[in-house]
Amino acid sequence: MRAFIARRILIMIPMMVLASVICFWITELQPGDFVTQYLDNPRISPEQIRLLRERLGLDRPAHIRYLMWAKAVITRGDFGYSFAYERPVGDLIWERMGWTVGVALLTVAFQWLLAVPMGIYSALHPYSPLDYTLTVVGFIGISIPDFFLALMLMFLALQAGSTSVGGLFSVQFIGAPWSLAKLADLLKHLWMPVVVVGMGGLAGLMRVMRGNMLDVVGSPFITALRAYGIDERGLRRHAVKNALNPMVSIAGAELPNIFSGTIIAAIVLNLPTMGPFFYNALLNHDQYLVMAFLMFIALITQVGNLLADIALAFLDPRIRMS
Amino acid sequence: MRRLWLAVLVCVALMTASAMAAPYVEQEDLTPSTKPVRGGTLRLALPASPQSFLFYGALDNNAYTVIGQTMTGLVELHPVTNAIRPGLAESWEASSDGKEVTFHLRDVKWSDGVPFTADDVIFTFENFIMNPVAKGNSVDRFTIVDTSDGKKKPVRWVKINDRTIKAVLPSPFGPFYMNLSHAYIYPKHKLESKIDKNRPDSVNELWLTNVSPKEIVANGPYRIAEFVMDQKVVLERNPNYWRVDRFGNQLPYFDKLEYLIIKDAEVRLAKFMSGEIDYMAVAAKDFPVLKSREQAGAPFKVFMAQPTQPTPSPVHISFNYDVANADLKELFRNTDFRRAMEFLLDRQRIIDEVYNGLAIPGGGLVLPSNKAFYNPKIEQIMRPYDPKQASAILDKLGLKNKGSDGFRLFPNGKRVEFTLTVASSPKDHQDIALIFKEDLEKAGIKVNLQILDATLVGNMFGAGNFEAGIRAFGNQPDLELRKAIWQPGTQLYYWHYSTLDRDKLAAITGNMTDWEKRLYTLFDLGSVTTDPAKRKAIYDEVQEIYHDVVPVIFVTKEMNLFAANKTLGNVWQDKQGVVYFSTYTAFRQ
Repeated sequence: MRAFIARRILIMIPMMVLASVICFWITELQPGDFVTQYLDNPRISPEQIRLLRERLGLDRPAHIRYLMWAKAVITRGDFGYSFAYERPVGDLIWERMGWTVGVALLTVAFQWLLAVPMGIYSALHPYSPLDYTLTVVGFIGISIPDFFLALMLMFLALQAGSTSVGGLFSVQFIGAPWSLAKLADLLKHLWMPVVVVGMGGLAGLMRVMRGNMLDVVGSPFITALRAYGIDERGLRRHAVKNALNPMVSIAGAELPNIFSGTIIAAIVLNLPTMGPFFYNALLNHDQYLVMAFLMFIALITQVGNLLADIALAFLDPRIRMS
Repeated sequence: MRRLWLAVLVCVALMTASAMAAPYVEQEDLTPSTKPVRGGTLRLALPASPQSFLFYGALDNNAYTVIGQTMTGLVELHPVTNAIRPGLAESWEASSDGKEVTFHLRDVKWSDGVPFTADDVIFTFENFIMNPVAKGNSVDRFTIVDTSDGKKKPVRWVKINDRTIKAVLPSPFGPFYMNLSHAYIYPKHKLESKIDKNRPDSVNELWLTNVSPKEIVANGPYRIAEFVMDQKVVLERNPNYWRVDRFGNQLPYFDKLEYLIIKDAEVRLAKFMSGEIDYMAVAAKDFPVLKSREQAGAPFKVFMAQPTQPTPSPVHISFNYDVANADLKELFRNTDFRRAMEFLLDRQRIIDEVYNGLAIPGGGLVLPSNKAFYNPKIEQIMRPYDPKQASAILDKLGLKNKGSDGFRLFPNGKRVEFTLTVASSPKDHQDIALIFKEDLEKAGIKVNLQILDATLVGNMFGAGNFEAGIRAFGNQPDLELRKAIWQPGTQLYYWHYSTLDRDKLAAITGNMTDWEKRLYTLFDLGSVTTDPAKRKAIYDEVQEIYHDVVPVIFVTKEMNLFAANKTLGNVWQDKQGVVYFSTYTAFRQ
């Protein structure tokens, strides 16, 4: 097992290097650079533009800039600084990490705690009215774009007279010290992002769980167990345990989605998370900020897959054997 | 008559006030209410977090919005009428040759209680304004051509004593005070020790978004109290602010000013309607919804106002005089052709269909509300929609023959056809392009629309790589501030780049048409003329030339629409349609 993990971690290094090259190349493909946005601003003189480009190193060719960036990352762990904020990108991302992780974890919990039981119920009562209802809700959840769902929920909430729309707090609680009232206010706001961001994933997970479960319930070993006289509860335990395996791999792949997959919804919902920040950086050509963010997502993807593999190995002895 | 008396009274009050070095009394137009209330919080929206709290370290409108509440310069612009008035300098006088201006500084304190002196002014100019590697420097605005030798030289600042400072100009410079109003003064006592003298660009690292608000001191109405990342910026009243209302109350009225950071325009609107935001600019497309809610009794008021703000930027149509296609090049350089194009521009339809009726025709150079510079004569010059007349001109230009597809042909038999380049956002530019194309094709000119990403389109225009295009540049109170666009031979005079030597960044007058030469001279004259009446005459001529020979065709300028919560006091609209509001004179009724 240890050798397996060590090997996986070693493989991550060339993967990250490759990812960084591709990411850098893609950010270069975008027309223009950070300074381009100021070209049609009469307040900013051509001389100012030239000096700015020089100061930011944008006058140097792309491969040189990449090598300089890579050198700083490897030797000093320095991911560069933001052109717009004049601050290290690490700090800027770190400042937004708290709410991003917080909302993400809640969303994951929401998805899994609902999807797994719903999938199991659907599979054990196939073609029942409730199964059909869940299926319909599931398909709507998958097909509706999250930003649209956000707009609709906000509209409905406003119509219903709610003022807790958008953001995580009412204005008077933003920046206020923590109190019970503030917590209550947070909960009043939080349900909407959790539902909006979680809805798509929830429906998908539920459908996968239902499919796996149906598969397992019909498999010969269940029939065999039933023939041994094991009661239905015990049977279900065995079935669920087997049906969960593919879900674990999905969980690993879900991890990066939570950080990057909800940018538009986060903008619409006015969340102080990394998504809208990253979007802005992309629009502004704030290259090192974009790079740091993409590298972070690449790392999370790899770590997610690794964790999923380790978890699978624990759950399923057959994988450990091979 | 009463108004006149009031004006006299205000003048007398101002004069005695300055004689006694008393605080500055705000004019009545911003403080009409006789029963103002102090206290409370004013809430406004901001589309994104500011990138810095140092004006000269940022190129960011959100930063400018916030900093504009906390900092001010030697002179100020009236927040609504844009008239120049005293700021940190309570008075000034210019020498008879116009080359020396002596400023008498107000006896005021920074928000932390340290006195403001001439040293702060010199410190700001040396380290920020005239520092070419400060990101938001203003070197260009304070480097003036010396008319005796034609060389560009910086304005020199000489300290006379703590409360008196002299500016020495290479030549008289008309827009000097206008430029000064954008030169916020920063505190030497707070910042000098933090600048690395060996690294002039270290000024960009001062007062960044992670600095403690206690470090940031102010000389404007508010000071920064708190910044909650991506959620809000809280400002509180500057206890040492020097402006009072007519009744002697210290301004601002509000204890706090909060900017809620809301990226999405729909969410901003929702928050305004639910009362979380007190005042905001509204897009023309949202006006019908808001107005009907207002009439249904919603607790806010919507103002439809004459355009007074630089944005939304007025839209224009340009034709590239240096286009590669020789037939088009000749055509686009022909003033009669461009006049025909103006006859084909249906401004009224655009105003009705694209802007819900909420725009004015033209408005590209100077806004009608700009009393200092607007030339009403252009309203007669601006050509109305008249396809017949356009057709007659095109016939006369030798484009009479039509091909089998109904499009006009050049004398050499080639179809009259060009590409109109337009950015995919904002949407109104595309809509204008569609309407214009429709009318041109009816008149027998084939137009191919090229709708591309805004950055890409900006790059194409900047490289002169287009045939015809639609673009928008914001207005400013003084045409001098838009010289870099409208004077031939500058970097944004993009439809005739052969007038600009790109390496030397100098104009090539030899490549200019006669009217371009005249424009070129007029803009330079406007810079060095100080007499307001003479400057107006100069810019009057500029406006007339622009509307007569149509170097570009000005389409429309969207009106400024505002919505204010009904509980706000001192928000009102005058008979001309101008809305009066400022963050330091508004209060909660």
